[in-house]
Amino acid sequence: MSEYTVVGQTVARVDAVEKVTGAAQYGADVHPPGMLYGKIVRSKHAHANIRSIDTSEAEKLPGVRAIITQDDVPSGRRVFATDKVLYLGEPLAAVAATDPDIAEEAAERIKIDYEVLPVVQDVMEAIKPSAPRLHGDDTKDGPSRREISGQIRTLSRDKENDHSDEISKLEAELENYPDEVYYNISAESHTEAGDVEKGFAASDVVVEDTYVIPRVHQTYMEPHVSVASADSSGKVTVWASTQGPFAIRSGIAGTLGIPLTQINVIGTTMGGGFGGRFGVIITHVPAVLLSQKTGRPVRVQMTREEEFTDGRPAPGCVIKLKTGATNDGRILAREALAFWDSGSVSGASIGSTIRVRGVYKIPNLKVDAYGVHTNKSGTAAYRAPGAPQAIFAGESQLDEIAERIGMDPVKFRLMNMREEGDEVPAGGSEPKVGYKETLEAVADAAGWWDREAGENQGWGVAVGDWTNGCGPGGVYVSVHEDGSVRIFHGSMDITGTDTAISQIIAEILTVPYESVTIRRGDTDSAPYSTGSGGSVVTFTMGNTAKLAAEDAHRRILELASERLNTNVDNLELKDGAVHVISAEPPKSISLGELAAYSLSTTGGPIVGKGSFARQASTPALAAQIAKVEVDPGTGRTRVLKLVASQDVGFAINPMAVEGQIEGGTVQGYAWAMMEEMQYGEEGNINPGFVDYRVPTSADLPTVESVIVEVPAPNGPYGAKGVGEPPITPTLATMANAVKDAIGIRITELPIKPEKVVDALKSNGH
Amino acid sequence: MKSFEFYEPTTLAEASRLFAEEHAQLLAGGTDIIIGMKALTETPETVISLQKIPGLTGITTDSDSINIGAMTKVREVELSADIQQHHTALAEGAAEIGSIQIRNLATIGGNIAHASPAADTVAGLLVADAQVDIASADGERSVPIDKLFTGPGQTVLTPGEIITRFRLPSPASCSHYIKHKLREVMDLAFIGRAAAVILDNGTITDARIGLAAVAPTPIRAVEAEDLLNGNAPTAELLEQAGEAAAAGCSPISDLRCSAEHRREMVDVLTRRTLQYALERASA
Repeated sequence: MSEYTVVGQTVARVDAVEKVTGAAQYGADVHPPGMLYGKIVRSKHAHANIRSIDTSEAEKLPGVRAIITQDDVPSGRRVFATDKVLYLGEPLAAVAATDPDIAEEAAERIKIDYEVLPVVQDVMEAIKPSAPRLHGDDTKDGPSRREISGQIRTLSRDKENDHSDEISKLEAELENYPDEVYYNISAESHTEAGDVEKGFAASDVVVEDTYVIPRVHQTYMEPHVSVASADSSGKVTVWASTQGPFAIRSGIAGTLGIPLTQINVIGTTMGGGFGGRFGVIITHVPAVLLSQKTGRPVRVQMTREEEFTDGRPAPGCVIKLKTGATNDGRILAREALAFWDSGSVSGASIGSTIRVRGVYKIPNLKVDAYGVHTNKSGTAAYRAPGAPQAIFAGESQLDEIAERIGMDPVKFRLMNMREEGDEVPAGGSEPKVGYKETLEAVADAAGWWDREAGENQGWGVAVGDWTNGCGPGGVYVSVHEDGSVRIFHGSMDITGTDTAISQIIAEILTVPYESVTIRRGDTDSAPYSTGSGGSVVTFTMGNTAKLAAEDAHRRILELASERLNTNVDNLELKDGAVHVISAEPPKSISLGELAAYSLSTTGGPIVGKGSFARQASTPALAAQIAKVEVDPGTGRTRVLKLVASQDVGFAINPMAVEGQIEGGTVQGYAWAMMEEMQYGEEGNINPGFVDYRVPTSADLPTVESVIVEVPAPNGPYGAKGVGEPPITPTLATMANAVKDAIGIRITELPIKPEKVVDALKSNGH
Repeated sequence: MKSFEFYEPTTLAEASRLFAEEHAQLLAGGTDIIIGMKALTETPETVISLQKIPGLTGITTDSDSINIGAMTKVREVELSADIQQHHTALAEGAAEIGSIQIRNLATIGGNIAHASPAADTVAGLLVADAQVDIASADGERSVPIDKLFTGPGQTVLTPGEIITRFRLPSPASCSHYIKHKLREVMDLAFIGRAAAVILDNGTITDARIGLAAVAPTPIRAVEAEDLLNGNAPTAELLEQAGEAAAAGCSPISDLRCSAEHRREMVDVLTRRTLQYALERASA
């Protein structure tokens, strides 16, 4: 990649100094004069009817400035519960006071009269007819019933003929599937390709298992925070810790009936997001309402405990998976039935169940997925939403098949991987992706082919696929009289995206990376930008930045052509100056001189504009290998080696890409081995970092990352989104390594010591 | 946090008088109490700092004991050459508390007075046969560490009584601490356990086994100790001791793990701690 001088190089991040010195402004650093402190009043029960809310005692407390409830929400969108609460910690009201302690005391003084209802927190319990219903009577038929009731519906629609005999026969057949009526269903998704029954019939080996993946929190370091200030003209300013300021703007506008451009959202430096920082109603809407009511700025900031009870974590799920293959290693069929725990509202990423197909040629595939209501908070995205769960099931089961047919797990995967032009089950044809290259790279780097394992040691491999998103963005580039370049845009920096944008623009304008600076505008000043999630930023804003720099490049050549009295075709921009191609003696003019000259031209200053919204993305693969040692006495697992490769298309900043690979892999490790939101009779029982364990650097060896570059046709310089893929295979990688070490398949995460000891015991140890 | 009156007395008598009042709370390192106050699980009206009272810190050695002031930082206990050599399990337990930052603030007196069944220094003190010196406005007394605790968060201390010192009698035994946990560092003990042995010509003359987080209070595994004393350490004997220790504890099931798992780990880890302690004793 030596043709480039700035992209493809490791450079220091543009925000390195402000973050290291503590100068970066996070949401909680914002403190406008006269600011009040907001506090959300939360339900103390996981499921209850609300008989009354009495705020009178709280109102009497000196320092209390406002109390709001759902009555204050003009659109009626559920911000606060009114007649029924659906989870522990659900907001019922909010208080603004002159001091955080007063706000807290006021919140305590609000009297809520509850009529406690039975609680359901387990998805497999929630789908039963005996389960308490969260929302009326949401029932759905399971896959078999669905087929039959579909036939009944078709026949009943035919008014020309009499099908009553057939219909009653089919209705009798429905009786065979009484367990297939599911309750508390929030959403469903069904996909089918080929004929799975035929595929299983033709298989030599069929493996069936149930995989259970817990709900986990994104555990960003900075809890949600919002500071809102509504002035007397009705203009609202919101300092928001968010991944998507423009989405927050439209969310507030829609919920509170405020004209869109009467709201200015200022994105503050983000203390981590991972998909969990898009929510509008968690803090932003209450802060705006309280500010409107008091005429003062108001901060609403969640505690870590509130993050666990009322954050929007990743959904847990139960996946029943069945795979059939031939003895010579061809996968013939796969069928999945998944129940996703979506909590009190719909929204769990049930569509991601399709990820069980992986990157393999599976001629027959059937996926049925349901979102299930439980008495928990709603869920949100978490780094490749839904993929780690589905891929855990898919890649765990693949190893079981490989073992039954006696084939090496890497070879088995390589043999079944799709190639360019192959049909993707239930989805088009395969573009050029480095599936095999990535898996081979990790196998080579980890020493897979001549691996050795001592007593109680084991090796595990898994791969995970993901495709980056895409969305609208706008970038302006201007060149100043000193030759420096300034970038202006509105997308939130996430894990170095501002740095990547700067590198791309420096590359095109042939200036040193150091002479480029980047400024982020708020929603009042910057062009629209998509949210920083879904691995979209480098793809979208990279393309946008490229267009803006190319636009500036055109103007630069135009100016140079005037100054050097030659056609633009004879000119090239190189090393920060425009040169006349093959002029002897050399003839050139610097960017600074051109920028100064531009100020007195008809065409005016050098301003490049880039605007972009959509291009097809290309899938990316992450492949990982772990070596572990399990202590059979205590059940503790130690990771001895963890190697992660990824097809990133093109690494614009290799060190930042490695950081993403390491971070995603560690989060996947944590999900596999220790993270789990636990629920008791009345909601979440581990709402804090004492009992919700995230790993520290002492738990893992350094993740060895391997960058594979198979360019994406539409990515800037061939780059793909890199943030999400690395978390997708790690859950299965760890489970497969533990299986190899102890000979027992753990299908329920996390793989805590007690589970390992119990598994060993039941296996006669 | 609720507002409170803050005192910094300079004498134990004054501190004791203030502490004897209702809703009063002592402040040593603050690593437990401040968190509780922020979470509103502790709402003292009076907070009495022990920082300004002289004579409560430091590790000293005299002819028949090693003495640790109650206000000694846990980090100092962890790094003390005397403790590491003579009361290894205590140093190892101290090293398991939180992070280095926490250990630089937390005190051994606070770790014990908080009376958590899972405290990391308690098993080491149990196998050291430590004496706990207590002072109040009315005078002083001393109780053995295994008589200090009465329940989770509860001790024999009466209103106004303050722990001033731990005395670890000589001769010291060879000891070892193991903490069963999920995370490598900065974790709470699922169970904690220490074993100490004195070997005389290949015979165990004094075995002590301390267990944390497996009963309402930290305990000594007396039945297991009786099995060991007077016998040569064989693999079979250690196995019996492990089983006896497991039988003698009364763990609970909670969100961290089940009672059954805790009991099994008492068995496994009793054998391991004894093994390590014996290796140290024979070295």
